[in-house]
Amino acid sequence: MEQVLQLANSFPLWIFALLVVSVVIFQALMFIRLCTKASSSVGMTSAEVRSAIRAGAISSFGPTLAIVFVALSLMTLIGDPMTLMRIAIIGSAAIETVGASLGAKAAGVDLGSPDFTAQAFTAAVWVMCLGGMGWLLFTALFTKSLGKIQEKAAAKSNNVTVLKSISLAAMIGAFSYLGGSEMVKGMQQSIVLVVAFIVMPIIMSIANKLHLNWLKEWSLGLVIVIGLFVGYFIS
Amino acid sequence: MSMETAEKSLKMSEGVVGTSIDFETFHKKSHFWGRLTIWSVILLTLMVPLYLSFGLGFHPGWVIILSGFAAYASIVAFVWIVEPISYYPVLGVSGTYLAFLTGNIGSMCLPCASVAQSVVGAEPGTKKGEITATLAIAAASITNAVILLFVILGGSYLLTLLPASVTSAFKFVLPAIFGAVIAQFAIQKPIWGIVGIAFGLFVNLGPVPRAFQTFLCILGTIIVCMLLEKMKAQKAQK
Repeated sequence: MEQVLQLANSFPLWIFALLVVSVVIFQALMFIRLCTKASSSVGMTSAEVRSAIRAGAISSFGPTLAIVFVALSLMTLIGDPMTLMRIAIIGSAAIETVGASLGAKAAGVDLGSPDFTAQAFTAAVWVMCLGGMGWLLFTALFTKSLGKIQEKAAAKSNNVTVLKSISLAAMIGAFSYLGGSEMVKGMQQSIVLVVAFIVMPIIMSIANKLHLNWLKEWSLGLVIVIGLFVGYFIS
Repeated sequence: MSMETAEKSLKMSEGVVGTSIDFETFHKKSHFWGRLTIWSVILLTLMVPLYLSFGLGFHPGWVIILSGFAAYASIVAFVWIVEPISYYPVLGVSGTYLAFLTGNIGSMCLPCASVAQSVVGAEPGTKKGEITATLAIAAASITNAVILLFVILGGSYLLTLLPASVTSAFKFVLPAIFGAVIAQFAIQKPIWGIVGIAFGLFVNLGPVPRAFQTFLCILGTIIVCMLLEKMKAQKAQK
């Protein structure tokens, strides 16, 4: 495990991660320039442009902090540069954890276990990178034709509802498989999972009732903290 | 800090007189720069595992990679297509390129875009709405990347300071995430979550070969949940 973390935090991986982050920042700056240039053609004043940028930057604080919290836990599993690279694009730390776990499991070990090898780490990186590419490929290839696809899909709204509930059940099944593999590790893990399963809907319903959007943004981070505390005190 | 950079680039572009463009040109340029940046990230993210596998010689074998990828794809492949399509009406052309590169669409990009639209008073789905959303998402993306960079640089140092009893509690992160995410998906239908967990335990404990565990768990959950739906519909008819 120590060796793997050394590899996972090695210099070349930092270079790749920083390159990816710079592309993300470059893209954002480029689009701010394009939008600013196009703003007058849609009747936007430069004061409005500035206030849109400000609103975006301020509102991103809450979600970012919640993301950061999950990222901190991912760092102990796959190292700093990979965490930076994966969270800076695609972004869902929960989904990335799943990708990494599935990659490691295919190589026959658990993510973060003492016998986590360099090969298992490589397998985890492959699965995360290939898996995350789906969104990027689709966006790069089909954004131009999305308008047409959308019309077609909406025309058969019946298909969409069936597909939606199948995919919902598939999601639940997939996460349950991963949850089950945690539960068989011990009573403590099982208790933490059940606590998380109960606490999450409670947080969401409080957030919905009191219209606390920030609470929704923080929900996963909060559940992780609660899970850590419960696990810490029962072990 | 990120806001300063954003505003700096804004001033830079304002400084160039007579460079304002119409909406058509804006879309054309969005396609160009959006595709260019996304393709470069695709190449970069491919280079990392290639480097680990063949540069350093830690190749785990294609069978392992493909079976891991197949398991992952069975979870997310549907989302690859559904997300861009369903968010497209809100994000528009330029917003789609930005949001799908930076990620966190539901939790960050969309909320930021709608806040900015209500601040500026632009309707979603209009041209002004698209420009506003794109500006907001771009600013959010920069803020997100910069904060993340600093936290990860400082966070790894913080982690070395933590006592072992605390870091050993990190093994509870995964069960907490999985429990919470199952509950979030099953929030309308808690019984589906319980069906899923039951299958999850069964395939992990029962005599099921590892290779079929994920598949069986997903398929079993789908079948039982669909049967439950049918029974509910029949009951409602009676």
